[in-house]
Amino acid sequence: MFGKYKRLWKKSRLKSSYDAVIIGGGLHGISTAYFLAKNYGMTDVAILEKRYIGFGGAGRNTAIVRANQRTKENLRLYDEGLKLWPKLMQELDFNMLFFNCGNLNLAHSEAGMSALRLQVASAQFHGIQSELVNAKQCKELVPVLDISDRLAFPIFGGMYHPPGGTLRPESVLWGIAKGASQKGVQIHQETEVKSLEIKNNKVVSVKTGDGKKIHTPRVLNAAGGYSALIANMAGIRLPVDVLPIQAMVSQPLKPFLDHVVSSGVYHAYANQSLKGEVVTGSHMDPWPGYTTQVTARYIKHQAEALTELMPCLRGVKFMRTWGGLADMTPDMAPIIDGNHPIDGFYIDCGWGYFGFKSAPVTGKYMAKFMATGKCPEILKPFTMKRFAQHRLSGETASPVNYGPWN
Amino acid sequence: MSLTITCPICGKRNGYEFRYGGQDKGPRPEEDGLTPEKWAEYVHLNENTGGIQKEWWFHRSGCGLWFTILRDTQTNQEIK
Repeated sequence: MFGKYKRLWKKSRLKSSYDAVIIGGGLHGISTAYFLAKNYGMTDVAILEKRYIGFGGAGRNTAIVRANQRTKENLRLYDEGLKLWPKLMQELDFNMLFFNCGNLNLAHSEAGMSALRLQVASAQFHGIQSELVNAKQCKELVPVLDISDRLAFPIFGGMYHPPGGTLRPESVLWGIAKGASQKGVQIHQETEVKSLEIKNNKVVSVKTGDGKKIHTPRVLNAAGGYSALIANMAGIRLPVDVLPIQAMVSQPLKPFLDHVVSSGVYHAYANQSLKGEVVTGSHMDPWPGYTTQVTARYIKHQAEALTELMPCLRGVKFMRTWGGLADMTPDMAPIIDGNHPIDGFYIDCGWGYFGFKSAPVTGKYMAKFMATGKCPEILKPFTMKRFAQHRLSGETASPVNYGPWN
Repeated sequence: MSLTITCPICGKRNGYEFRYGGQDKGPRPEEDGLTPEKWAEYVHLNENTGGIQKEWWFHRSGCGLWFTILRDTQTNQEIK
């Protein structure tokens, strides 16, 4: 049974010109390449990845997908994204282990409940399934939750969003990479982009680490946490802060957690993987940086938060912890721009920790943007111009800002 | 590896005592002739340097001083 596996994507020689060059072999870059080839017949596309496919956020996320955001611009995008997963698995013939388990966001105060009420109303207005539940219903959904008054911040209720769930990130990446490669997209790993050449305000070529010049009229910056560095090569500063974010998994346990549970007040989320591990995280380092180091501080925090919410987890061991980068915008909405301020230079970044759930759907529309040169309606609100227009999106990460202190 | 920061008053302390105050972008722009673009640039745009950057810190759990240091964002180490 060993040794018979075929490579999922082909190896190819780097050419000296392409119709489009995508910087970053993560989910956003690969999805865009896939849809460029599939929907627009643009197959002369190269994905240039500095390290290996899935080195960044694509391999470091915690696999949660949902469409229970706060603002209409984001809701419609994530809703379509959520509905895309089953279709994508079908058309790629690749099992991404979509576990449609639903998300439960907990509130620990009346202010928290009010915030959830707003979010539930927004979701329902857009036809997305989401409902407000009380503490007893939370306990029915997740029996291991402690809804007593023992907690420093007792559970008041929550927002239950059944369409959400988890996927296996590696499978998502491999599936889409395979699909893109089959359609002729070239994936070049260990190929760093060192500089961009811009003439008369138009992208002309990119230069790789080993000095090769690749001519192209279109470049997509989809470098995730490193996209600010790529944008700097084009002389563009981005309204992002790059913050390291950490996650961890426990030892495998028997199935006990049927939903993704999150709490803004305790600053923790958890779900049980199909292997039985509790996957948990949510804390960011309070200063920007490009390290992916992990700290004892957050392991301790996570242990405290989880055992407070779910006392049965006391004594369970963490097996593994890791860090990744999140490019955070001030308004929790991404930055999507193209042909502005440089012709042929496209930007798809600023996703913070929303990059995984948004990848295929954004790739689909980003491909349309790059093929036609016109920004699709659904991506228009995310232009960088919104900052000068003082039209920041009203998105929130989770209702973390609403607690007993409000 | 965690960060230590040298406060001009309190000396070398644990990084978690401090609040990050952003990259040092120089003085606030003059209000005469200031456009929304220039203001947004000053408020929101960051260099996001991958290397040594000059940045503001506030000794929140200490003396309350605002000061700047040099820090390498690739290693998360303060540069003396």
